[in-house]
Amino acid sequence: VSADLVSLSAQEIAAGVRARRFAATQVAEAFLARIEVLNPKINAYTLVTSERALREAARVDAVIAAGEDPGPLAGAPYAVKNLFDLEGEVTVAGSKINRDNPPAAQDATAVTRLANAGAICLGATNMGEYAYDFVTINAHDGATRNPHDLTRSAGGSSGGSGAAVAAGLATFALGTDTNGSVRVPSSFCGVWGLKPTYACLSRAGVFPFVDALDTVGTLARSVSDLTRTFDAMAGPDARDPNCGRVSSPLTDTEIDAGVRGVRVAALEGYFARGRTTELSAALAAVAGVLGSNSTVELPRPDVARSAAFLITAAEAGELHRERLVRRAADFDPASRDRFIAGLLAPAAWYLKAQRFRAWWKGEVARIFETVDVLIAPATPMSAPGLDEQTFEFDGATLPLRANVGLFTQPITLVGLPVVAAPIHQPGRMPTAVQLIGRPGSELTLLRVARELERQGVCSAPLALGS
Amino acid sequence: VQINDPAVVAEVTLASDVYERALIDNDVEALMGFFWDSAQALRIGVAEELYGSEPINEFRRKRTVSFTDRKTLGRHVVAFGADMAIVTIEFSVVAFGNPRHGRQSQVWVKLGDAGWRVVSAHVSHRVTPQNSAAFSTNANDGAAFAAAASAILRAPIDPAHLGGVAFNVGLMSNIAAPLMEIELPETVEPAARFIP
Repeated sequence: VSADLVSLSAQEIAAGVRARRFAATQVAEAFLARIEVLNPKINAYTLVTSERALREAARVDAVIAAGEDPGPLAGAPYAVKNLFDLEGEVTVAGSKINRDNPPAAQDATAVTRLANAGAICLGATNMGEYAYDFVTINAHDGATRNPHDLTRSAGGSSGGSGAAVAAGLATFALGTDTNGSVRVPSSFCGVWGLKPTYACLSRAGVFPFVDALDTVGTLARSVSDLTRTFDAMAGPDARDPNCGRVSSPLTDTEIDAGVRGVRVAALEGYFARGRTTELSAALAAVAGVLGSNSTVELPRPDVARSAAFLITAAEAGELHRERLVRRAADFDPASRDRFIAGLLAPAAWYLKAQRFRAWWKGEVARIFETVDVLIAPATPMSAPGLDEQTFEFDGATLPLRANVGLFTQPITLVGLPVVAAPIHQPGRMPTAVQLIGRPGSELTLLRVARELERQGVCSAPLALGS
Repeated sequence: VQINDPAVVAEVTLASDVYERALIDNDVEALMGFFWDSAQALRIGVAEELYGSEPINEFRRKRTVSFTDRKTLGRHVVAFGADMAIVTIEFSVVAFGNPRHGRQSQVWVKLGDAGWRVVSAHVSHRVTPQNSAAFSTNANDGAAFAAAASAILRAPIDPAHLGGVAFNVGLMSNIAAPLMEIELPETVEPAARFIP
């Protein structure tokens, strides 16, 4: 039974637990056993909260035994990026410095809401230090390895979460996305990713990176799980005044409604640069299923990326000022100098970036008057080797880490929701396509994603066997 | 004068091998020993002009670099007589995440008991649109800016980190350039989200 349990989706596990086909405790034990065997190989988890998992599972089983409703995610085991507060645990955020902090007094709101829905927290996952990273090569905790090829990167900064989901060490995992940190691991690990509209999910109890851009997101192996987990976490939160956007509940029936009437266009120009044959094939397959052959260009996406880059640098540099001044030597050398440089960024850069952001929001809104979903690659390459520092793009050799977010970063600037849809081609590393919508259009994106899943174009198969 | 006496070429090639190894290991003590101990020794680097063995040694001591992935792409040795040779090397290296194609010319002289020493050296990198950020005036301006800004902001930077910070400041400057050129209507306000 255990071997089968780890290959199930959160939805399938919840159905089985509620129907008493198996107990939540059995599920938790099966996942903990798999983590014990596989985590040393991929380094997805930095903390396994076995006691908590078994306690939460026992509670779900007790609720069921009492004939009550354990919630829509009953018994579904999940992981959180190690910047989410877990009561009684230190929130390290991929750093050495934060290990000196006291344990969190309470769970992050997202974690509380998942617990209320019956989900089981298995632990916390590896990430790039303070989220300023696209590869999850962490100087303190080591690199996370891609479950589809252990010599390659899982992407970042939510790389541990992506790898945990791809390897079946969790049914889904929470990440955060500032410039692409959910969408990049989704692409490299070949799993579904949801970066919801900015300010839509509570960030209370989530260690910050860039206030203006940070978004809580999810990685999962099915569209249904993206939907249910988003639903469980959505809604205003008194602990996070920035989280005000109300979304209506999403149901499987609505997600299954098909894509008739949804207007889809591929992003050209900037987003078509350096396109590999595998990316072209992936995008053509997606456009084909959605019956779309139209294309559209956003104005100056290169500048949108510059603006996101500068807002990131300036806010992150200021956020970490005290740590950079007092404990620079304790930072990961791969991110330290970028953080310090950001601290020195002139106000004119930051304010011009914020003014561009306001202008670009209007330009993008105009595009969405005639289109509902934009498609673009998530990353310019599939998962690189852990030791690779450069990649070939448009006939040039470019530094790798600085350019992984080429296609995710402009979208972040104006807080649009994105589903990263994974594509697996025989003999190749997976990749993902971004389905980008207007603010608040998660339902539309998930419907399109579901259609791609149903037609077999997009999928998130389990790596390392079951 | 005899050109390329095989024995002399072999001696210089060996000395060059040992030097390259010390460079990859950033073995500062060893590197300092390779240069002519004279006020007339000189080393022109990518971003510095050093006259005399003292400034050269000072530079070595302060520099924090990782050349572990430096690879020699080709080496050309020409020996003139028994005690003078030119060694020219092309190499690849990734510095601060940026791939570089480097060129290095050294004049080696056999100085009595001291043996083969570099009396003059010149290092450059091929500049392409992709890596120009690292070599434009930005690189020097970035260092000056970082030093001044850290003082003004009262956020001291460890000298060992200054090179990397300066590089990133230069990178930011290049990234900011197209943004600063964009003309926006004056009515466009920053996208702040503070609502009192």
